[in-house]
Formats: sequence, C-alpha cells, structure tokens
Amino acid sequence: MSPLVNIIVGLAMGLNLLALGSSRLPSVIRAMAVQGVLLGMLPLVIETDFDWMVMLVAVVTMAVKGVLIPTLLRRAMRAANIEREMEPFIGFVPSLLLGAAGTIAAIAGARALPLLTEHADTLLVPGALASVFTGFILLVGRAKAISQVCGYLILENGIYLFGMLLIHSTPLLVESGILLDLTVGVFVIGIIMDRIQRAFDSLDTRKLTALRE
Amino acid sequence: MMSGPLLLLGGIGLLAGIVFGRRRPRLWLVATVIGNASLIVAAALVLSGPDDWQWRNGFPIGGELLHFRLDGLSGLFLLLLGIVGAAGAIYAREYWSDEHHAESAPRGRAWWSAMILSMTTVLLSSNGLHFLIAWEVFAVSSFFLITLDRANREVRAAGWLYLACSHVGTLCLFGFFATLAARTGGWELGPMREQAGLAPLLWLALPGFALKAGLFPVHIWLPSAHANAPSHVSALMSGVAIKLGIYGLLRFSGWLPVPAALGPVVISVGAVTALLGIAFAFAQDDVKRLLAYCSVENVGIIFVGIGGGLLGMAHADAPWGRVLLAGALLHVWNHGLFKALLFLCAGSVLHATGTREMTRLGGLWRTMPWTASLFALGSVAISALPPLNGFVGEWLVYLGLFDASTSHGPAAWAAMPATLMLATAGALALATFLKAGAVIFLGVPRTRAAGHAHEGGRLMRGPMLALAALCVGTGLAPVLLWPAINRAVGVWNSSWVAGAPPAPLLTLGLVNLTLLAAFAAGSVWLWRKAHANGFRRGLTWDCGYAAPTPRMQYTGGSFAGIVTGWFAEILRPERVQQRPRGPFPSSARRIQRAPETVLERVIAPAAAGVLRVSSAARRLQHGRVQFYILYLTGGLTALAIIVWWGGIQ
Amino acid sequence: MTSILEFILRLAVWLLLAPALPGIINKVKAWVAGRQGPPMGQLYYDLARLWKKSVVMSTLASPAFIIGPAVAWIAVLVAAMFLPLGPVGGAPGFHGDVLLFIYLLAVARFCTTWAAMETGSAFEGMGSAREVSYAVLSEAALMTAVLSLGVQSGSVTLNEMLATSAGAGAVLLAAGLFTVLLAENSRVPFDDPNTHLELTMIHEAMVLDHSGPPLAVILHGASMKLMLFAVLLAEAVLPLGNMQPLMATFALIGAVLAVTIGVGLVESLLARFAFRRAPLLLTTAFLFCVFALLIAWKGGAA
Repeated sequence: MSPLVNIIVGLAMGLNLLALGSSRLPSVIRAMAVQGVLLGMLPLVIETDFDWMVMLVAVVTMAVKGVLIPTLLRRAMRAANIEREMEPFIGFVPSLLLGAAGTIAAIAGARALPLLTEHADTLLVPGALASVFTGFILLVGRAKAISQVCGYLILENGIYLFGMLLIHSTPLLVESGILLDLTVGVFVIGIIMDRIQRAFDSLDTRKLTALRE
Repeated sequence: MMSGPLLLLGGIGLLAGIVFGRRRPRLWLVATVIGNASLIVAAALVLSGPDDWQWRNGFPIGGELLHFRLDGLSGLFLLLLGIVGAAGAIYAREYWSDEHHAESAPRGRAWWSAMILSMTTVLLSSNGLHFLIAWEVFAVSSFFLITLDRANREVRAAGWLYLACSHVGTLCLFGFFATLAARTGGWELGPMREQAGLAPLLWLALPGFALKAGLFPVHIWLPSAHANAPSHVSALMSGVAIKLGIYGLLRFSGWLPVPAALGPVVISVGAVTALLGIAFAFAQDDVKRLLAYCSVENVGIIFVGIGGGLLGMAHADAPWGRVLLAGALLHVWNHGLFKALLFLCAGSVLHATGTREMTRLGGLWRTMPWTASLFALGSVAISALPPLNGFVGEWLVYLGLFDASTSHGPAAWAAMPATLMLATAGALALATFLKAGAVIFLGVPRTRAAGHAHEGGRLMRGPMLALAALCVGTGLAPVLLWPAINRAVGVWNSSWVAGAPPAPLLTLGLVNLTLLAAFAAGSVWLWRKAHANGFRRGLTWDCGYAAPTPRMQYTGGSFAGIVTGWFAEILRPERVQQRPRGPFPSSARRIQRAPETVLERVIAPAAAGVLRVSSAARRLQHGRVQFYILYLTGGLTALAIIVWWGGIQ
Repeated sequence: MTSILEFILRLAVWLLLAPALPGIINKVKAWVAGRQGPPMGQLYYDLARLWKKSVVMSTLASPAFIIGPAVAWIAVLVAAMFLPLGPVGGAPGFHGDVLLFIYLLAVARFCTTWAAMETGSAFEGMGSAREVSYAVLSEAALMTAVLSLGVQSGSVTLNEMLATSAGAGAVLLAAGLFTVLLAENSRVPFDDPNTHLELTMIHEAMVLDHSGPPLAVILHGASMKLMLFAVLLAEAVLPLGNMQPLMATFALIGAVLAVTIGVGLVESLLARFAFRRAPLLLTTAFLFCVFALLIAWKGGAA
C-alpha cells in the first residue's frame, strides 16, 4: 500500500509547488482541483477491504473538490473578470523557493516527530505539513481573493491528510469529519464569493481594507 | 635553522623601511623589498622543512616574555604577505609617486613598512598580549594607509568606518584573550586542545576575526575602505590583511578545543556570505567596490572550506574534512594573488583615467593592452575557470563538499546546501567579472578621459606580471604547492598529516597543462585560418546602424539588471528615472545606484538609535557641580534603602 | 593502442555527429508544421561554406574576438570527451572530473560572451547579459543534478556516476536536466533559434558580428554542446553500465534521438516565453533537481 500512497502524496506535494509557481488563476484552480481528486482517492487506497461507506465518501470528496468547488471558483473568476494574479505580495519565484524549502523541512522535520511505525515511512505527515504551509504562503502572499480561497483549500487538504492517519482506528469519525469539512468549505466559499462580488464587483482583497473604518 | 636570521633580516629591513620611508624613497624600496624577500624565504624554509621555528627571549614587553613561533599555518600566510608586500611596494613607487602625491607619498611609504611589520608580528606572536598589541598596530597602520588621500571627504569617512569596525572586533578579541589568559593562567599561547572547558571561548573570537575578514553582515567597512584606499593598499588589504582574520580563526580553532556547533555555523555563514557578497559585487558600478565585494564572496568560500574542516574533524577526522581545509588554505593563497593582481590592474586604470566608475570607461584595451590582458587573466582566475589557480582551490572545496555528501553522513545536511550556494555564487562571479572586464576594456571609450588613457610604466607592470605568473603557475602545478598546504593542514589537525594528496592534484595539473596547450593551439589555428581566408575590419554591424556612438553601448548597470532584479529585496537598488516625453523629448535620464544596504538600512539606523539614547543620557552630564552632589546624595540614599530593605528581608 | 583508437573514435563521434542534431530538430519541426523543411545535413553545408569565407571583424574588437570562439570550442570539446559514450567508454577520468566538466562549460560561456562584448554593440551586450544571468540558475540546477548523481552512485567520477541509473528520482532529474538543456542551448521556450534581428534573442544576439571560420566554430561548438547535454541526460537516466555493450549503444543512440526529437516537439508546440517568466521555469528545473537529490539521498541512505 505504501508506495502507491507515497506516489499520490508526492504528486500532491508537486501540485502544491505548481500552485505556488503559477501566475494564472485557472492553473491554480486546476492544481487545487487535481490535488483534491488525488487526495479523495487516498481512503480507497489506504482502506484495503472494500466498504460502501468509504467508497461513498471518496466519491463525494472527489466530486466536491474536483468539480463543484472549482466550478464555483471559475464562475466567480469569470464574473469578476480576472485571469491573473498580477502583483502578489510574495513573488512567484520566492514563493516557489519558500514552498520547496518548506517541503524539504517538512520531510526532514517529520522524521523527528514521534510517529507510529506504520506512518513513519509514508509521506502522509510531510505531505500534510507541506500542504498546510503552502496554504499559508498563498493566503499571506496573494492579493486576489480567488488565490486566497485556493490557498485556504490547499491548507484544508493538508488537514485532511492529517485525518488520513486516523482512518484505520476511527474510520467513521474521519469520514464524517471529511463530509462536514466539505460542507463547511463549500458554504464558506459560496458565501465569501457572493458577498465580495456583490459588494465590490471585484475580487481584490486589497480593496477590502476600505472596510476597516 | 636559517629561518631565525632571515626573519631578523626581514624585521630590520622593514624597520629600515619605516625610517627611510619619508626621505629616501630608493633606500626604502630596497629595504622593504629585501625585508619582504627574507620573509618569503623564511616562510618557504619552514614550509618545506618538517620543523617549526620558535624563539623565546628573556626580554619582557608589557610584563610578558617575547615568544615568537613560525609554523606551517603562519608560514603560509607569511609567504603570501611577503609576496604581496613586495609587489605592492614596487608598484607604489610609480603609482603613488612623489611627483603626484608630494604630501602623502612619504607617509604612505613609512606606513606601508609599518603595516607589513605589524602583520608579520601578528603572524609570529605566540603570546596573547603581544598578539593584541600587534593586531592593534596593524589596524592603526592600515587606517593611515587607507586615509593617505585624506583631503578627500569620502576617504576620511571610509577610514573612520574602518577604524570603528576594527575596534569593535578588537574588543571581542580583547575579551577572548583576557578570558583565555584568566582561564589558563598566562598569556602564553599554544596547542591546548585537551582543556575542554575552553571551547566556548571561540564564540568570542569568531566575531572579532569575522569582522576583520569581512564576513556578511559585518563586512560593512570593507567596500568603502577598499574602494577609497590607494590601489596598492587595497591590494594588500584584500590580498592579505583580511586573511589575517581567517588566520586568527584557523590559528585558534587549531589550538583550542572546538565547540560542536562551530562547524555548521561557519559553513552556513560562509555559504551565505559567498552568495550575497557576489550578488552585491555584480550590482556595483565602481570597479574597486566590485572587487571589494568580490573579496567578501571569496572569504565566504574560504569559510565554507574551514567550516567543512571543522565538521570533518568533528566526524572522526573524515578525509573530506582534510580536502575542504586544504581547499580553504589553497584559496587563501590563490585569492591573495589574483585579488592583488586585479586591484593593481584597477589601480593602473584609475591612474590612467582618473575614475573608478566603469560607466565612464570602455575600450581601454587599445591604449592599455597589458593591463587589459592581465585583468582578463585575473578575471578568469577569480571566476574559478580552468586552467588557472582559482579553479584548483575551488575544485578542492567542491570536491570536499561532494565527498561529504556522498558519504551519507549527517554532515551532508550542511554540505549539500553549501554546494548549491557555491555553484550559484560561482556562476555569478563569472558574470561579475565578465561585466567588469567587458565594460572597462572592451567596446568604445565612453568618455574622453577613457580615450586618452595610457599604459603604466615598468614599475607598475612588473609586479602585476609577477602576480599573474604565480596565478598561472599555481594553476598548472598545484602539486608543487601541496607540501606547504599539507604542512599547514597538519598544524591545524595533526591526524591529517599523512603525505599523499587526498585529491588527484597531479592529474589535475596535467589536465590543466593540456588544456592550456589546447587553448593556445586552437587560438593560433583559428587566427591563422581567419587571416588566410582574407581578413578585413569593418564597423560593428549593430543591425545596420551606421553611426554608433559610445552611449549606445550596454552599460554595467544594464548588464547586471536582470540579476539585480532577482536580488532586489536584499540589494535595494535605488533608481532615479526621467522618461522621455512628447514627440521631441528634450531630456531623459536614468540613474541607478547600488547602495550599501546593510550599512545604510540596518547598521546606520541602529547606530542612530544608540546615539539618540546616549545623547539623552548625556544630558545628565552638564557640568553643574550642585547637581552632581544631588546625584551623589540620590545614589547614596538609593543604596541605603537597598541595604535597609535587605536587612528587613 | 586500443586506447588511442578509442580516443580517435570518440573524437570523431563528437566532431562529426554533433551537427546532425540541429538538423533532426529542424526536420521534426518541419514535419509537425507539415512542411518539407531543410535537409538534415543543412548545418554541415553551412559550416563548410562558412569555413571558406573571409572574416570581417569589428574595428573595435581585439584579437580576443577570434581567440574567444576557439577557446570556447575547445573547452566544449574537452568537456564532451570526459563523457563516456556507451561501450566506447570515456576518458580515464579522475576523482572530481565532474567539476572540471561543469567548469569547462563555464569557460566556454566566458569566452563566447567576452568575444560578444568585444564589439561594443548593444545587441551583443543584451545577449551576453541574458546568457550569463540565466546561466546562474541553470548552473545551480546542473550542479544539483550532478550532486544527486553523485549521492546516488557514491562517486565523484563522471564514468562511475553515469554508469548507474538515477534511481527513483530519474523522472525528476530528467525533467530538470531537459529544462537546463533547453536553457543552456538557447532553445524555445527560453530563446528562439529561428529569429534573427529581434530584441528577444540570446545566442543569436551574441554572434551577430561574427563571420567566416569563427562563426563556423561557434555554430559547431553550439551543436556539440547540444549533443553533450543530450548525452548527459540520457546517461544520467539510463543504467548503461549494467547493459550489454551493443544494447547500451542502441539505448544511448535511441535516448539521444528521443531527447532531440523532444526538443523539436517542444519547439513546435510551445512559443517562446516572456523573458520575465524564464527564471520561474529555471527555478522549477532547479527544484526538480533538488527533489531528485533528496530522493537519491533517501534511497542511498536506506
């Protein structure tokens, strides 16, 4: 099981860097969507015996993260008429290097953590840490709301990966957690998009500072 | 042993230099060159033989008995000092001559001898107190050499900055030596690896020596001091004086027990220094400032080697540690040679044109062919390109880092990032020196001064040729220098004395020789072929532009623009821009400057804050005796209250 | 005796086969575009023609204008001779020759850019500035790739480093090295070898003023450099040292052809990037190599 999990998580980590390095919003959304689908497959791979519940959760996760949320985001993007992140607070090359450094640090740092032996040689924990870190970079370093939302979702993927550690011991709890998580995610995004769009006709968070008075 | 009399002769020669410097320039030159030559021979004798030279005398200075010692490590530095000292002295006769600098030239000669004498004393001293005294004399004499042209405001500022930084360093060293003396019960220095309690002291010595060596971010004094000093002084400063900081670190990390974290710290600071130093160098427009920042880079490379040596020693004397330390020492030697050469070349450009700004130069190869070729040679050497000496040193450093990485030890975590940073720094060094060489010597002269340049005389050319010959020689036959390097390595860590080079230096020398022959043959062949086919000169094509002007050339700033943009967060380049407007623009300009970011953005604001606080405190001191009595009373009352409080408790 | 024969054979391969590679690339591009395209041997004809022509040299240029290309050409050739060629083998090699290999490429870069700057033309200045600036990133990537090969094989000698395969990180390493190949050889998306007289060039801009035999030497050197990188990439990824000699030869030829065709396809399908995006791509290549290094490190430690 371990090699396949590692390949999937490794790909997800690569997608993190792709999201950090690309200036075009559609590719950031695509990276996030593909990552969501990849991670949605994880329960199927980890859970060796077939289970309807796991199957269902996986399919729902993939559908929401791979189709629903990206569609919402694309629509918002078209409505706000923005395609590109023009002036990020942290440039693309620096955030790429930062992300890579974070990934390496996550791999190195995960060795130092007191993990169960079954998790010690998988990439689950480093992948989770790296995704959370990537999410933070996107949240801090980007000016456009859509990139920030993508950052939030990637961060959320990292938390989801942490949840995967528990899937053997408390499967039902993890699965319901995932579903709850998805619901909240969709709601939050839908609401944020809607509000911002209605109020400002634009999705640039820099203009939100007008609200501070 | 012949070393003793030779060193005595060297000392007498330099003393005579100090005495004759003012009135008798010819005698000064003879005395200084003889003094330096005997230093060279003495150092070479010690380096080639198995024994150290030691001399004790019952004659106390400052309550301490004199103790001089010349071993492999100090011998290597002394050799370099002798060579650069002699070359600079000869060069200075023409470069800073009495006709042009009637007031400062005599002073300069005396201080030159004094500086070399004091540096020799630093290298020889085996007593903490005398080391400190010599260190201080060395700092002061280099201050007076930097400020030779003291009428110039900029020069004075650079001198004061140097003096201030130097004293901060001396303060650290004073603390170091005083604590050492208190712990060991005497100022006497020597191997004391077995006293494990002394290890933390090196943390006190590191900043002191790093300040002198010009490590990032305490390099702040270095660019302006090197740029504003006369060029022969810059050559000595950059070639040898900053190496004394490296000598100090090597000396005491070789004698004292080493704290475990020192190796990783030194290697990472070195790698960062190398990368940032060269990034700053690339952005400079002043050729001497560029060379100065490049010294920062090279000190970084040397520190990577030393840090690797420390790491290797901590990992059960791993062989790669030996390679790294040998690389660092070889690079000390190499950098001393080619940086002195480059500074002398820059001096001869300055002498001929009166400006250090590269944007005002250009096309000098026609009027100054010797300087141009020697600068090109120095550039190839300093960019670490085979077959010259720079490559050999850096090759050893890289080889050590590669071996450390492939050995799969924990040291690889320090070695792998350092390798990548050095590789980036190496490519940037190439770009930097390509820029310097091309903008100064190639193309069309950009100003009239550059058009009317002239080659320096024999006294200036001779030392440059000698240094260049040493660069080529070290590149082609590094194995000849190996015994000296090995001797120094053995002094530092006695378990690394085993004779055979840990790297195939002989093979590398042969390959370098073959390369040089192939390059020469290929050049001659193509040159002949081109002439046989018919050869004519025409205007530079420039896409059909018929009347090129000097202003259309690429400038140094535009050449470095791409990389400056990448490092903009750290470099903070300043721009003044006036765009051309309208159909017939009357004027447009663009001025770009690379500031001393660390000094101007970090140190100066911090210093201003300290100054504000201290001037506020100074208000307490106003000279009215009544208030002083009030302070006294207040202080006494406070003390009394404290005592009383203590009694109650 | 055999070693001399082997030496001559390798020399011949590098000198004679290298100019075929740009021909193959052009054929691929023509085929994708549905054109007939220039013949495969076009570069050979060009070289022969240039070799006979007379030389025009800028009035500003010093003799280094001609010496530069000669030295650069020899540096690339010597670097190439250090690479093993399947069963024909490589130079005997020595501990640390891989660093000499990288620095010989730097020598070539120094000499071509120096010769370009001789003319004082703004175009050559522009091309040189780009060349040396991008080289900063590509050299970092190349050094990382080489370090990862070293960590993988536990050796610092080119022959041994290239004999084994790059292990689990091979895909990453291949991607990184391929990008470096594109950047170092001034191919799309970093530079467009087809453009002339535009502000967007790197390599072409540097050789604008060269003519006759020096230009021939520069072009031949560029083709050797392309082949050098293709061979390096092929040998880094394939475990040629573990194969039968005949098999290894075919594998090497096949891989080099695949790389060449890959360059052609990239050139047909992609447009040249804006210059400000090039650093991002090179950084990505560098990161590919860094992760390959990490994988090699983990694999080697286990």
